[in-house]
Amino acid sequence: MDKFRANLMLCGGTGCIAGGGLKVKQAMDAELRKRGLEKEINVVITGCNGFCAQGPIMTVYPDGTFYEKLTPADVPEIVEEHLLKGRPLERLMYREPEKKQPLPVMSEIPFFNLQVLRALRNKGLIDPENIEEYIARDGYKAAAKALSSMTPEEIIQEMKSADLRGRGGAGFPTGLKWELCYMVQAPLKYILCNGDEGDPGAFMDRSIMEGDPHVVLEGMIIGAKAIGASKGYIYVRAEYPLAVQRLQKAIKDAKAYGLLGDDILGTGFNLDIEIYLGAGAFVCGEATALMRSIEGKRGMPIPKPPHTTTQGLWRRPTVLNNVETYANIPAIILNGAAWFKSLGTEKSTGTKVFALTGAVNNIGLVEVPMGMPLRKIIFDIGGGMKKGRKFKAVQLGGPSGGCIPEALLDTPVTFEDIAKTGAIVGSGGMVVIDDYNCMVSVAKFFLEFTTDESCGKCPPCRIGTKVMHDRLVDITEGRGKEGDIELLEDLSHDIINTSLCGLGQSAPNPVLTTIKYFREEFESHIKEGWCKAGVCRPLTTFYVDQESCKGCGACARVCPQKAVSGEKKKPYSIDQTLCVKCRSCYEACKFGALKIGPGSLGKELIEKAKGVQTR
Amino acid sequence: MKGSILVVDDEEVILKSCKRILEPEGYDVSTALSALKAIELLEGAKPYDLVITDIKMPGMDGMEFMRRLRAKNPEICIVLITGHPSQESIKEALALGIIDYLPKPFSPSLLTETTAKAMEVRKKSVKTDSQDFTGEMAEKLAEIIRKHKNKPGSLIPVLQEAQELVGYLPPVVQRHIARGLNLPVSEVHGVVSFYSFFSMKPKGKHNVRVCLGTACYVKRAEEILARLKEQLQIDIGEVTVDRKFSLESVRCLGACGLAPVVVVDKDTHGSVNPVKTMDILAQYE
Repeated sequence: MDKFRANLMLCGGTGCIAGGGLKVKQAMDAELRKRGLEKEINVVITGCNGFCAQGPIMTVYPDGTFYEKLTPADVPEIVEEHLLKGRPLERLMYREPEKKQPLPVMSEIPFFNLQVLRALRNKGLIDPENIEEYIARDGYKAAAKALSSMTPEEIIQEMKSADLRGRGGAGFPTGLKWELCYMVQAPLKYILCNGDEGDPGAFMDRSIMEGDPHVVLEGMIIGAKAIGASKGYIYVRAEYPLAVQRLQKAIKDAKAYGLLGDDILGTGFNLDIEIYLGAGAFVCGEATALMRSIEGKRGMPIPKPPHTTTQGLWRRPTVLNNVETYANIPAIILNGAAWFKSLGTEKSTGTKVFALTGAVNNIGLVEVPMGMPLRKIIFDIGGGMKKGRKFKAVQLGGPSGGCIPEALLDTPVTFEDIAKTGAIVGSGGMVVIDDYNCMVSVAKFFLEFTTDESCGKCPPCRIGTKVMHDRLVDITEGRGKEGDIELLEDLSHDIINTSLCGLGQSAPNPVLTTIKYFREEFESHIKEGWCKAGVCRPLTTFYVDQESCKGCGACARVCPQKAVSGEKKKPYSIDQTLCVKCRSCYEACKFGALKIGPGSLGKELIEKAKGVQTR
Repeated sequence: MKGSILVVDDEEVILKSCKRILEPEGYDVSTALSALKAIELLEGAKPYDLVITDIKMPGMDGMEFMRRLRAKNPEICIVLITGHPSQESIKEALALGIIDYLPKPFSPSLLTETTAKAMEVRKKSVKTDSQDFTGEMAEKLAEIIRKHKNKPGSLIPVLQEAQELVGYLPPVVQRHIARGLNLPVSEVHGVVSFYSFFSMKPKGKHNVRVCLGTACYVKRAEEILARLKEQLQIDIGEVTVDRKFSLESVRCLGACGLAPVVVVDKDTHGSVNPVKTMDILAQYE
């Protein structure tokens, strides 16, 4: 291996590639060749760094300088100033949202330094397509230990005392699941990995599969040894082409190194792993549905028992774990259960990866110890709300989860505490919602999702979610009636009680939590015909408050309909007959002079204007 | 644009008035004073969705023109203009597969109505096009089926590869697969209709996918979708008349850091401003 004096770690996650990361890499390669530096400086495309909104991202080692939002045009300057003259470029560094102070090194940036990386320990440090780099970071050491010196009982015991709970959503103890499967006698068992990350707003599993594919394979090898499986499948969404490509390469390389296939590491243990592409059905995140899908059928859940650990894929004993769960396993085997439990709470051990998105400053992937309060994740790691916006709620757990309001922001993130609020930890989607959003519409959005994704097997889920969705559409379009809220609550409980699988049992959660914490918003929609966030157009009128308007004209400039008019330095006004309620003026006003009134106000204002004309 | 139309008539005034009436409706209208001129235009690079032609013209008449047109382009939609709608001529024209006829003199509203109807037929014929499945593709499909045949659970991988090959999964392809894998067609169709990844409608030259994940939704992805629908004049899952663009919505692309996201073919466009949505498509003309 050549020795380089500097390593440039360019993020190759989906976010950075979409932002032009590969063009930066090409420009960098060309520039280094031009200056004859290609033998001194190494350019590595790594897995997802996690700080997706700032992409394309690059970290320069050994000094650790962190650059963000790079373009090919920045490359010559970086080479000239930083790599040749040793003067890091301040203009490309991350700046604190408030003080605007440049923070040169990753470890100084709050987004990174409050995180504890376990499942993501290799993120941004290795080339995911190079097995040797994974091995150099103690990769496959745990698999070697498990295969050569541990019995299945010992592995299961270690997992049980680590108390690792499934990271896919339900939080079922992994060790117990393995033990159940281990105890079944069968000639053939399967080990599956669930990479069908279907929750909208979640991309943890994608980042792990893209950034560190070998850790998933290693976790599966250890699991296979524990339960006695000889065949594995990784079920990945077809929407994740990069993850598929990197996993395929990883499997090929692992086979070439004797880490997969027959007689792994000379221990006599056999395991073959294949990738299976999902075809886009949210319900396939459910274990029995996922297995039907691998069998080539419609992905519909079947009743349990028999549990999948006894009769799963092709009626054989099967263990299914989530990508992030597998990513935690090698470190547990290597460092022991006590180390794993040193973080987290008593019942929720270890760390959890979240995909933090929405209206916060720092969007990206974060891994934190279980038990950290939501507020710390959103306001310290996430850097708080985007300028001028107010926090309204945080959505956890996707379509199966719920919205948590500001009053409960000190809730620690553990399986139990989050469940108490009515939401779930889920797979780790964390979408921050600001005051520009209407909670009834958010509930409608999730119901639309579940209505569409319900597989149709159980009528309460198939028809009930549709009826609920229709009620929510009516409410957002001004046809809400007295009693609608109670109807939604009743239907929710019926659907939860009478559905077969997790999808139906959790589908009403987003509605129940929004009603619980934002009931007054539902009421103002129904009773006053007023969407106070100004989102539901029939229930909204934008008008200029004549007292606070400074007459700057910002609103008139952005109006696509030319409905706002006035003279500079005098209060402006909106022609309600032309207004299409696009919110542009509302968002442009810096003085809070644009107000949101109920839908009926528009008509009143039009009548009033007519009256003035005729008089 | 709603579609392109060629009007053929030997009277200049008819051509002019058709142009005047149809262009404000959003159609692209070309004209030809004779059948020969029209054939010349039709052989050019520009594709037409609809031909409106007179029947009585000096030189080559409308019937002969239509016969030639049909032989070359069986897909194209034809509307006839006629001053003397005799039983015979209408019968003959119907045999050539015209969509409708306009008796001279016709009112502007009749013209726009008939045109709209013809365009609707054209749109539908695009959707059920089995011409996309060529003999060459059939051979390749047989190869795909052979490769997977003896593996359990091979239906979904076969469908995925078939869709990659053909672009979508029309009934003829599903029947091929059912026969090849020895499955009932109903089972194949059941799987195709269950998974959102599979499409029974063709895709455009450029496939536009709008992410409707939560992060994109709270950043106004719905507005982006509404604008695309309005500008392209298609709904989700449809393709424009000229087959240039097709529109899809996806659940989540997992690129939430870039929300809202629109993907055209394989290019991801992040932080899309709803107002400027159409600028993105301009790159894909």
